[in-house]
Amino acid sequence: MCFSGSAQGRSFSFHTSPLQSHYQQDPFDSPDVQRRWEQLEILQMKSMERDQVTGRPSLINVNPYENETGYDNPVFEPSEDDSYSTVSSVKDDYRHQDSSYIADIYRKAETSIREPAAAQRRRTIGVTMRLASLAGLSLSQYSLPEAELSEEERQDKIRFIADLAKLSYNERMKTIQQLTMSIEEKREIRDQVQQRIGPDAADTDVQIHGYTQLLYKLLFSLRRFRENMLICFQSVHPWKRSLKIIGGKFGTSVLSYFTFLKWLLMFNLFSFLINFSFITIPQFFDMGINNATFTGVELLTGSGYFTQTVFYYGFYTNASIQANPTAQMYNMQVAYFLTIGCYMLSCFLYLVYSMAKSFNENFIAVGILSGDAAKLLCSWDFNITNEKAVELKKRNISRQLKEMLSEKMHYHRHLSTKQRILRYLIHLMAWIISLGTTFGCCFGIHSFSISNFKIIQKNPTEEDLYKQASTLMLPFVVAIVNLFIPLFFSFLGSMERFKYPRDEMYVLIIRNVVLKMSVIGVLCYYWLVTVANTVECWETFVGQDLYRLVVTDFIFSLLGSFFGEFIRSIMGTHCCHKLGKPEFDIPRNVLGLIYAQVLAWIGLFFAPLLPAIQIIKFFIIFHVKKVSLMMNCQPPRKAWRASHMTTIFMFLLFFPGFLGVLCLLGATVWKWKPSKLCGPFRGLNVPYSTISHFIDVIQDKVYHLHWLVWCYNNLIMNPLFYFILTIIVFAIIYLYSQIIDGRKLMIKLLQEHISNEGKDKAYLLRKLNSMKLKMESSKEKLHSMKISDEFIGHLEAKEKSEDRKPTSLNMKNMQDQDVISNQNTEQRSNSPNVEGDSASALALALAAKHQAELDPNE
Amino acid sequence: MGNKQTIFTAQQLDAYQDCTFFTRKEILRLFHRYRDLAPHLVPLSYKDNPDVTIPYELIGSMPELKDNPFRQRIAEVFSEDNEGNMTLDDFLDMFSVLSEMAPRDLKACYAFKIYDFNNDNFICKSDLEKTLLKLTRNELTPEEVNLVCEKVLDESDLDNDGKLSLEDFQHMIIQAPDFLSTFHIRI
Repeated sequence: MCFSGSAQGRSFSFHTSPLQSHYQQDPFDSPDVQRRWEQLEILQMKSMERDQVTGRPSLINVNPYENETGYDNPVFEPSEDDSYSTVSSVKDDYRHQDSSYIADIYRKAETSIREPAAAQRRRTIGVTMRLASLAGLSLSQYSLPEAELSEEERQDKIRFIADLAKLSYNERMKTIQQLTMSIEEKREIRDQVQQRIGPDAADTDVQIHGYTQLLYKLLFSLRRFRENMLICFQSVHPWKRSLKIIGGKFGTSVLSYFTFLKWLLMFNLFSFLINFSFITIPQFFDMGINNATFTGVELLTGSGYFTQTVFYYGFYTNASIQANPTAQMYNMQVAYFLTIGCYMLSCFLYLVYSMAKSFNENFIAVGILSGDAAKLLCSWDFNITNEKAVELKKRNISRQLKEMLSEKMHYHRHLSTKQRILRYLIHLMAWIISLGTTFGCCFGIHSFSISNFKIIQKNPTEEDLYKQASTLMLPFVVAIVNLFIPLFFSFLGSMERFKYPRDEMYVLIIRNVVLKMSVIGVLCYYWLVTVANTVECWETFVGQDLYRLVVTDFIFSLLGSFFGEFIRSIMGTHCCHKLGKPEFDIPRNVLGLIYAQVLAWIGLFFAPLLPAIQIIKFFIIFHVKKVSLMMNCQPPRKAWRASHMTTIFMFLLFFPGFLGVLCLLGATVWKWKPSKLCGPFRGLNVPYSTISHFIDVIQDKVYHLHWLVWCYNNLIMNPLFYFILTIIVFAIIYLYSQIIDGRKLMIKLLQEHISNEGKDKAYLLRKLNSMKLKMESSKEKLHSMKISDEFIGHLEAKEKSEDRKPTSLNMKNMQDQDVISNQNTEQRSNSPNVEGDSASALALALAAKHQAELDPNE
Repeated sequence: MGNKQTIFTAQQLDAYQDCTFFTRKEILRLFHRYRDLAPHLVPLSYKDNPDVTIPYELIGSMPELKDNPFRQRIAEVFSEDNEGNMTLDDFLDMFSVLSEMAPRDLKACYAFKIYDFNNDNFICKSDLEKTLLKLTRNELTPEEVNLVCEKVLDESDLDNDGKLSLEDFQHMIIQAPDFLSTFHIRI
């Protein structure tokens, strides 16, 4: 506490000095002072105003140099400087040790001593902390306002501001935004930084060219433009309000479904824009005449009128398009190929990027620590603004905590071998049943599709309605399978009685994904093997099938939310109260979205405008689900780790979903023969030969693009290139995995280090405490020894003089004193052993007590 | 630049933009939200930096905070006087930290302050107990509360000093990826 002591001394000393008087001396008489004045010019101490506002007159003039009204009392300077240097050096030390909290605590103590009544300004932080906060690790409160900053700290602040001034505009603003202090202080720092930068920039403007000025202006307007764009983007940011309402009522878990939906919608918007602008718009210049009539059933079947529109592959031309005779040629084949390819590539990159980011955020420290208690503590959902939801969330948390506490007991509940085997058998059975069901469904769909296909092909001239109805059969069957088999799986899962609900959820998700993906796989087999070999314009046929699948899926998901949620809710509230309101089934709904998105991706090649349908579909689903959620559902009772699950769903979208689509489209493009009479690739062996033809054309005619030809021949067509690329990628992966291993080891060691450090600290503290106790007791002993000596001397003197009787003391005390003095004399005779004797210690203590009682009397 | 606004000067708006995670429009919207809390207190122009403070009772009655068990702590942590009475700056600051854009470390730092009820720079056992009381509906018995607190300390207190420092807390936050999306108030 020397720290606070010195500070206190400092402030006291200032009280004695006549500070408010104007100075008579030249303030620049010493170089030291001059230096400080210079700093003052740079640093406008706004804190002065603040102090006047908060009204702490005793503290205003702690540092005379800061007082703009006057400076006096150079006499004080040396001592003043001393105290400052000690203070700052102490602080400095703490900073160097990087344990700023200790400094903080000291500082807090200092404040409380100085001004116990005044409210502590918690939010203001010292510069030390500000600097540390650059690293994002500062705790900003509890220190003093700037009026009380030491010289050292002000230096730090200046340095900090100088550092900020060196950064680029964006980085600087980011740093300032991330400081943990109030806006007022941020603004102050910002102003100071700008003051620092301002004159420099002006100078250069004058000195350097007008071009530079122009550049600055350009940069500035670019920044403005970006900001305005951001504002525009945010104003069209769809469903912000809806998301807020959903989050407020149902929490982050249900919200994650809707954000996922929105995310997919953006995907489709992008793919629609790219397809529409690069494939459809050029095709408009080469429109044929559409003879078919529009009846309305087409909306459901996608055939008929739609067959001869830009909607399907078959309509696109294989020729080069010219908008007018003088314009450049637009090669439709290449455009079609490259557009789909580029979209797939950008989708791939974006998916990998967002997946990696999500993994990075959510699985960053898996396995380092285990335990849920801490997680629960920071699990409060600040989104929730609904009273009921708050109650529910609280109940949830208490239940989870209780479960966690009972987990230990739960863990010890050993199952007998027989029970365990039985349990495994049940799980095995469930897996066999679910996989068997999946297989059965796939087989059924396959045979049904083939028989249905025969019906469609056999009587092309028969009445149209019947044919259209039979084309709708297959999507209908698929949708039925997708609707009811997951329900069966849920039932199966509840029969299995998993140990943890989490396991049940994962198993359910896996089974559903297996089902949906194998259904899509069977359909793809049907399209590529059965349809591609018999139908004349098979791509359009597949596109129509996909359209029907998307539409029926849409209808069934609407029906699902009607029956599964609306009817169920009515049943729960009116008929059977035990059921209650249904919960929003997040995994089932998200898997439905993934399935729909996979269909849309497959359809991209066969029906380039399918994303438009998908956009409309998702848009309607969003609103229907929202209304249904608001009207029928209750907030989920189960704990749901939203970001964790979102990552898993993203992964599912990527791994069986997107990669499967990529394989399928790759096979179609590289291996399958396009139909002879329709579509952009008619007449080619495989769609891919477009590119080789295109390269040939370039080689012959366009000379300045020869590098492209070279790239194509030497890189894309060269297996060696891929070989080398693969080896490099593998090497990098290996390197990174090694680095990760090293880091893991490092983390482990550091964690051990931290815990050892903690143990050391505890040990040292214990030792220090015991030492202190020992010290105190021995001091006491010494003290009482001294006292008793004096006391005895005193008594002896009294006895000798005998000029007056001790009237003020009562008799008992006198007797005690006699006893003690006797003992003391005894002890003094054998003084070396004094300390060991407990009785003597007691006596000493008694003597000390009496002495204390005597003192005031005398 | 769009429509002219008369509430702030351009410099003020620039400063706010630089110091928070908001755009101009959001700042203006937040100003109106702030003003709606106490229309008779807050002037329509902030050009001459009026010294206006809205009392905690009004801040705490915002629909975004009304049902939040930590509303008082939030208001205290972000207010200049530590009693929950907020100026416009404090108000913007609060929603800036609680916005989507704020990085994890900043959020963690303020969450730490919110959970640190006794302001001693550490989350100690009493803080944990208070947090638990706010998080649950008094359904836990005192022994259970005690057990949970011990478990939390046991799990997260890396340096074994019996309380959670900011570093411990940040480490804990990393374990809970949902924190980033849940420590967020949509405005």
